[in-house]
Amino acid sequence: MSAPVVGSGRKASIEVRDLVVRYGKVAAVRGVSFTVAAGEHLTLLGPSGCGKTTTLRAIAGLEQPESGEIRIDGSPVFSSSPRVQVPPEKRGLSMVFQSYAIWPHMTVFDNVAYGLRVRKLPAAEIAERVRGALELVQMGDLAARSASKLSGGQQQRVALARAFVFSPSVLLFDEPLSNLDAKLRAEMRLEIKELQRRLDITSVYVTHDLEEALAISDRIVVMRDGVIEQMGTPNEIYDLPRNTFVADFVGSANLIRGRHRPDLERDGLVVLETAAGDIVHGTAFGRRVGPEALLSIRTVHVRLSRARPAGALNVWPATVRRRVFQGDFTQYHVDWSGRSLVIREVATDPVAEGETVFLVVEPRHCVLLED
Amino acid sequence: MARLVSLAVGGAAAVLVLYPIFFLLQASLSVGDPQARPPEAYGLDNFADLPRYGHIFANTVTVAVAATVMAVLFGFIMGWILSRTNVPGRAALEQLMALPYYVTPLMGALAWSLIGSPSGGFLNQLWRALGGDGHLIDVTTPYGIAWVMALFEGSVAFVMIGAVMKSMDPALEEASQVLGAGRLRTMLRITLPLVLPGVLGAAIFVFAEMLGSFSAALVLGLPNRFYVVTTAMYQLVSQYPPQFPRAAAMGVSLFAVMFAMVYVYRRVVSRGNYVTITGKAFRPRVMSVGRLRWPLLAVGAAYLGVAVVLPIVALLYASIQRLATAFPKAGNFTLENYRTALSLDAVRSALWNSLLLGVGTASLGVLIMGFLAWMIYRSRLPGVGVIEYVLMFPQAVPRLVFAFGMLWAWLIFPIPIYGTLWLLLIAYLTVFLPLGLRTISGVILQIDRSLEESAQMCGASWSYRLRTVTMPLLRPGLIAAWLLLFIASVRELGASILLMGPHSKVITPAIVESWFSTSTELTAAMALLQTLAVAVALVLLFTVARRAIQHPGEGA
Repeated sequence: MSAPVVGSGRKASIEVRDLVVRYGKVAAVRGVSFTVAAGEHLTLLGPSGCGKTTTLRAIAGLEQPESGEIRIDGSPVFSSSPRVQVPPEKRGLSMVFQSYAIWPHMTVFDNVAYGLRVRKLPAAEIAERVRGALELVQMGDLAARSASKLSGGQQQRVALARAFVFSPSVLLFDEPLSNLDAKLRAEMRLEIKELQRRLDITSVYVTHDLEEALAISDRIVVMRDGVIEQMGTPNEIYDLPRNTFVADFVGSANLIRGRHRPDLERDGLVVLETAAGDIVHGTAFGRRVGPEALLSIRTVHVRLSRARPAGALNVWPATVRRRVFQGDFTQYHVDWSGRSLVIREVATDPVAEGETVFLVVEPRHCVLLED
Repeated sequence: MARLVSLAVGGAAAVLVLYPIFFLLQASLSVGDPQARPPEAYGLDNFADLPRYGHIFANTVTVAVAATVMAVLFGFIMGWILSRTNVPGRAALEQLMALPYYVTPLMGALAWSLIGSPSGGFLNQLWRALGGDGHLIDVTTPYGIAWVMALFEGSVAFVMIGAVMKSMDPALEEASQVLGAGRLRTMLRITLPLVLPGVLGAAIFVFAEMLGSFSAALVLGLPNRFYVVTTAMYQLVSQYPPQFPRAAAMGVSLFAVMFAMVYVYRRVVSRGNYVTITGKAFRPRVMSVGRLRWPLLAVGAAYLGVAVVLPIVALLYASIQRLATAFPKAGNFTLENYRTALSLDAVRSALWNSLLLGVGTASLGVLIMGFLAWMIYRSRLPGVGVIEYVLMFPQAVPRLVFAFGMLWAWLIFPIPIYGTLWLLLIAYLTVFLPLGLRTISGVILQIDRSLEESAQMCGASWSYRLRTVTMPLLRPGLIAAWLLLFIASVRELGASILLMGPHSKVITPAIVESWFSTSTELTAAMALLQTLAVAVALVLLFTVARRAIQHPGEGA
């Protein structure tokens, strides 16, 4: 057995095909396929139990899939036929764990140096690289500290340094920020993004936090119940959710169901008539419209207006039932023809509860869903 | 490769457990000449014959039930006082609660025989001197035996029940009070139902232990010809001619009952403790008991008094007398017993053998059991569930019964280890498998799997990971396991008494022999010397262990 070597810093691509992972009788991942281009930052996003962490661990080699294929830089590291299962330590990847997994019996230096010592680098080079890595995560002056005496944020930084110090070809992140408080999380999110760009490395990131996913990814894979619901850039995922699940999970949305009225359509817009008889203009983005269809409207895309705006489509009178001040924005629950909508607005001129206003939505923000 | 080695070791350990059990079953079915090996003919006659020993089974149940009731009561009261009330000095008392376990039932039985035997017991001498008639207490009755057994099992019950009481989320009780229920109502409707499964589990566990307990019944019952199943088996095997098949049938029945009890125990524990055990450490809510705290402190101190202080004082007092009596007399005091004990070659070699075996069992045991525990709880190899089940078997078999199987098994073994210390080493390693596995697995389960996985992701091979991450993290657990195995081996009686040869004596059976064949005073001295030897070894090791546990890694 030969010791693994320090990576050349060469970015690797990843291909996952028809991946199935089972825990006993339960299928955690049910036929997932996607690719990560060299140097790309991909995020697996979904609620707990959707199979995102299992998928990541299968790429790492920590879970043994039942079937499918995983290739790193073109060569299979797992395949069900012919049987290939490369052990995790030989895949040349690295990983940041949700629990950080900082070894409490070592110093910060020893933790970070571990992967380099495994690769039998000369002591001088180890010292040099560890110092560089620790400085990159702003932990340069804590190298000699015992790892058991670190705060959560500091452990997180050490875990990062340990993961990239030996220049792996791929960096995997398993919900690395979920154990931090909100403020630190926002801070670390930026730092990780910065680090990813600076290291110029392929990364796969797992999270259930939408903001995190939107902030740090080139591409997002939304998962549910072991299958992929949608794949796309952060903008695509946010602006054009494919179905109710994605629309609902990726930021809050109002869903409006209605009967298709092709007879009223013009300018390439889709027109639905709700059960209450309101006419809604939306955009199909090339999706097929059935006789019954659903539109998704983000809560931030509905405007409240005291006067009826002239000439606009999608203007409906509504009554403000409840107003909730949330700091950065104000959330309104309004009654619109017997249905309830949620609207978020930056509070400049707040509307009072009980007041009747006009709802205004641009047709391009009424996105047709596939189901 | 690692896979093959793992399964081979696991399989070998399983064979070590099953081999004697096979021979126990074989012997119980032997209906020909009782001395013949292998049996001449097979049948169920030995079992059909068991009703003849109905009184022995009745004795066993009486003693076990009485002892269980008392032990659980002790454990419950002490658990409640020490974890739920504001009695002064709780922390110190809780530390001391481990002491009865270290005193051992054998020491307790010897001591309580000195204190409470009907004719010569110190307490009864005092009673008569004060004008009483006959005797005040008699520890040689079934209830006396149960009392002695319960005193020492009480600390085990305490650990189990105390853990349940501590692991209960105080918010559950606070919620009840916030919703308007009074303290008593909360106690009856919330606290009690929540701890009940834990108490029931402890009761079943203690009952199974009591069914298989040996030393107190031997020391206190044998002189009166009062037998329980284990002592009857011992009698059948050690008499001439020995009645192996009959003893084996008794052992198998006991094994079956205990096996069922342990099964029920596991069911109760896995199902019952729903909310109380969440794996989180809570600061248990402490109830202010006002003036009552002094009486409650006295209750706690009294338990430790009768279980620890009184027995040791009694043994000490007897050991420095020429003829043990309750009333001090000038000229009756002597250190002769200690001089004799230390000068007897038999005692010296037995003590030496025991310490040697203790070190050997603990060192080898930690190595083997550490590996097995890691394999069972970490490796995710197929078949480890079955191996775990088999390795935990000895828990359900009294050590005497197990040793009986080994007696037969190793007599026919081609390599002549019978009658040597090697056989005892193998026996100890086998019967203490559950003890070692449980201790080490407790630590393994606390170590997050990702600590090993992250080493793997850094590219470390299996052996490198084991050396740099797994072993250092396991060190406190391994040290604790070493200590427990050492203590348990040096004090082992049930297996040793059957398996030791004339030239491979160990100390605990030697103490029992001395009790039956030489003087009480000399025996007391021997028992204290054994305790002293264990204590010295422990103090030595504890200082080392504490340093290693408090500063993991700083020595590396």
